[in-house]
Amino acid sequence: MTGGRAAGRTGGRMLALAVLLSVSPTVLLSAQDTTAGKKVYVKWCAGCHGESGAGDGPAADAMLPRPRNFTGAVYKIRTTASGQLPTDADLMRAIDEGLPASAMPAWKGRLSDAERRDVAAYVKTFSAFFSDTSQHIVPLKFASAPGGGSGAAALKTGRLFYDSIGCRKCHGDQGRGDGPSANTLKDDAGFPIFAADLHQSWRFRGGASVEDIYRRLRTGLDGTPMPSFSDLIDQKFLTDEELWRLAQYVRSLSPAQPPDVRDVVHAPQIAGAVPASPNDSTWARVDRYWFPLVGQVIRKPRWFAPAVAGVWVQAVHDGKTVALRVSWDDRTQSPDTSWLAFEQRVLETMANDDSIAPKAAPWPDQLAVQFPRHLSEGMERPYFLMGSATDPVYQWRWTSQPARVVAGLGRGLEQFDTLPAAPAGQAAYDHGEWRVVFTRALATPDTGNEVQLAPGRAIPMAFFAWDGSSGEHGSRMAVSTWYFLALDRPTSPTVFVSPVIAMVVTLGLGMLVIARAQRRAAGV
Amino acid sequence: MSAPLPPALRRYAGHPFWQAVAILVLAYVLVVWVVPLLPGSAIVPKSVVLQYMVTVLVGVLIYVSDSEARWTRFKEPINAMLVEPRLRVVRSGVLTAVTAVVGLVAYGQVKTTVAAPPNLRSIHPAPPTEITFRGKSITLTGLENPLRQHADSLPTYLAEGKQVYYRNCLPCHGDHLDGLGHYASGFNPLPANFQDNGTIAQLTESFVFWRVAKGGPGLPREGTPWNSAMPKWEDFLTEREIWSVILFLYDQTGWKPRTWEKAESGGAK
Amino acid sequence: MHKQLGLVGALAITVAAGGCGGGGQERAGAESAAAGSTAVAQAAEAPAAPGAQGGATITGKIKFTGKAPANPAIDMSEEPKCKAKYTSTPHEEIVVVNPNGTLANVFVYVKSGLPANATYPTPATPVEIDQDGCHYKPHVLGIMVGQTLAIKNADGILHNIKAKGVKNRPFNISQPTTMTSNRTFTAAEVMVPLECNVHGWMHAWLGVLPHPFYAVSGTDGSFTIKGLPAGTYTIEAWHEKYGTQTATVTVTGSETKTADFSFAAK
Repeated sequence: MTGGRAAGRTGGRMLALAVLLSVSPTVLLSAQDTTAGKKVYVKWCAGCHGESGAGDGPAADAMLPRPRNFTGAVYKIRTTASGQLPTDADLMRAIDEGLPASAMPAWKGRLSDAERRDVAAYVKTFSAFFSDTSQHIVPLKFASAPGGGSGAAALKTGRLFYDSIGCRKCHGDQGRGDGPSANTLKDDAGFPIFAADLHQSWRFRGGASVEDIYRRLRTGLDGTPMPSFSDLIDQKFLTDEELWRLAQYVRSLSPAQPPDVRDVVHAPQIAGAVPASPNDSTWARVDRYWFPLVGQVIRKPRWFAPAVAGVWVQAVHDGKTVALRVSWDDRTQSPDTSWLAFEQRVLETMANDDSIAPKAAPWPDQLAVQFPRHLSEGMERPYFLMGSATDPVYQWRWTSQPARVVAGLGRGLEQFDTLPAAPAGQAAYDHGEWRVVFTRALATPDTGNEVQLAPGRAIPMAFFAWDGSSGEHGSRMAVSTWYFLALDRPTSPTVFVSPVIAMVVTLGLGMLVIARAQRRAAGV
Repeated sequence: MSAPLPPALRRYAGHPFWQAVAILVLAYVLVVWVVPLLPGSAIVPKSVVLQYMVTVLVGVLIYVSDSEARWTRFKEPINAMLVEPRLRVVRSGVLTAVTAVVGLVAYGQVKTTVAAPPNLRSIHPAPPTEITFRGKSITLTGLENPLRQHADSLPTYLAEGKQVYYRNCLPCHGDHLDGLGHYASGFNPLPANFQDNGTIAQLTESFVFWRVAKGGPGLPREGTPWNSAMPKWEDFLTEREIWSVILFLYDQTGWKPRTWEKAESGGAK
Repeated sequence: MHKQLGLVGALAITVAAGGCGGGGQERAGAESAAAGSTAVAQAAEAPAAPGAQGGATITGKIKFTGKAPANPAIDMSEEPKCKAKYTSTPHEEIVVVNPNGTLANVFVYVKSGLPANATYPTPATPVEIDQDGCHYKPHVLGIMVGQTLAIKNADGILHNIKAKGVKNRPFNISQPTTMTSNRTFTAAEVMVPLECNVHGWMHAWLGVLPHPFYAVSGTDGSFTIKGLPAGTYTIEAWHEKYGTQTATVTVTGSETKTADFSFAAK
């Protein structure tokens, strides 16, 4: 029943969109004056896309994916068949809403409606294809989603086709972009390109909804290795409903909503020992927190292609010991020599501060969790980017090879002094995901260097991650700012005393008011 | 009034109590949903919403209590709710709801939870009078952008500044110079928004030079240097490149730098 | 891997059982077989243009000097179905030197010299390219503007075929099972690269021309372009690694002229 209603709603939305599409492409941009568009383009777009539209502006080589090259008129996000030009509405969507997880921002609200239309018209002048009247720009006819999309049967069907039509070849068995062909992928210009991590739908360039995913399956992402699956439907090798099931399955791999960034990781106090294993069933019951990571662009050599988009963090404690689990998606269990050629292409593609371009090497994967050495009463803490010579930070560092965890003092990016005592650490790699658990006593003997963890306080904490197979090592890494860890105390029953008193008083007063009003009414 | 209201609705619409309820609902909708849609505004914080609502409520109460007759009519539905036998269910409902809300608010107050400490930070701390740039001493007080003295070369400097911006500043400060680059969400505090009238529009170019050259690590304590992701650009850029990119920031946003002669001229678009 | 193969099999069964799907599959197969034979015929004898019945012939050999570089070996362990089609390690086909010392896979075509306004009918028979043993067959081929390219997948495993034309719209379609997709090209372009991204070693080259005067050097290194009207032509020979060479040839009547090309190892 609910499924039917949901389908009806989606159908309505699709109908509205179809009407919009059928009207807009012809009227929207045809008779625009491109001199106005050129002005907007040169001022706001050329820095990335280049004066000549070739995707080669000064910012281009500090981006992966790189800015669109407009001269070939090849666009990834369209509603048209593979090989066709995008509709004007497709272009306007990219300009208005931007492309998630890329440097392309949403220009709606930044540029006026007229400016955005003008610039779209100007962008079309970079390719002769748009003035070629033999090009038919027709959006594909998309059926609306069948209901029951989140049900087990639908997802099972979707998974069946995920396997049978070969999605896993690039996207991997569990969808984290770690398939056997992933390390060979290039876009049409020869730049390295990653198969999408299907567990992070909020980073999909074409949008996160089931409808968006279905459209990408139908249209393909032109200029990339992602093909169109429309021929399969046309030739009845696959029904439209089955392709929708696949889209629904892909959508189900990511959280329903993009993760909120909350500042404080709350570690509940549990009875019994804390889980030391990354696959302990306790972790399934503990709230997890998402922290986005970005490229280290503060100290030389900078890094503009961070491979780890963020980490999921969970923590528990038992009053004596804390266990912290950090999980993150990484398409390779580094070092992995089968990725060396891909790593080399990434290093050659990206802007570089060194005089000599770095050479690919089999680096390990790494993760660092950072704390101040001491918890100060004020807000002062060490420099977030691995401390400084005068005010070092205390870090736990895990490496995949050699497989170990050490603790040490970071004195800036250049210096890390290992301490004799390290937290216990266990790591597991599972189909494109690392899970690492650190366990340490709250109180330690080395109070001078090691942070003393205490319940009821906000303990500053930061994260750094390296994917060796993407060429990350040293200062080429993904970084976070300071966040916090809080070891919660178990809720004491006394907490409920005052709310109960307040409620009793309110109820009493309320009844008194009613009684008085009724007496007075009866009296009158 | 285009169409006459049905009599039942007209009775409600003309009643001061229901008018007051309608005004409160309308005010809430305006503040929470309509105001954020206006150009240049953001979501209104909860505390501000509360403040607005209290103001509206006080205004409404002053109005209804202004005349004795209106005040009596205003109280009618409340009184009816308390007394009328046919409204027994409504009465119990209101009593239960009020009690539950009080309980929840009290619980929220008492429950201890660890929150992130407030991040009190001076956004534009006082600059030093003099800095050392790559070993060279530069006096900031009274300093203007030296590139502005060469009017005919300005297009060249601007083009150079644009290159510097897109190669270096873009990931954080963004395509629109509004501090919302693709790396911005990873940092706290957020990168400066140059489009806002509270940043470069209020500052002299020498102040901006100091902030660019020395970055986060060069901030005084009140600027929370430990949080700032602003690099120390003297490690990357020459003096001329920094002055060029400052020219670009003002040119691209349309702001005029604050000048030393007449400091009040800043902030003009 | 076994599990995945099982599921591919399951899909094939689903498709076959799915009513019209089964029929479509068979029809596509029959069509492809017919297309295959005509494509071969076309390579041997270029279809005659109107008014050029008979016509002149340009023939020649593509010689190769120096030591042929080794083609990279292909690791097909991820694709047991393809791997089973080879008795020894398969290699890429970047430089294929024939036993007689000639170079195969050279695309030879009339670059210029044809009457400016001449048009040539588009053959109704499609040109076929097959994905067989995780290789494109043929590796180099020609097609006329508007003529159908029938893209066949004999392997029955996931291939995507991506055409990276610049003058033609690029496309990228998925073929996860035994099927045929048809596409046409709108503009002359030498060459349109074709590739499969699932199997990074799979490359093919498609020459799109507005006329039928082209050939590909085969296992004996020779080529023949037939049916040319009298005139002076610039003939270009294109190789994916060694680039292009041109020759000027004048023909009259129904004579046969020879134009040999020679590529040297780099």
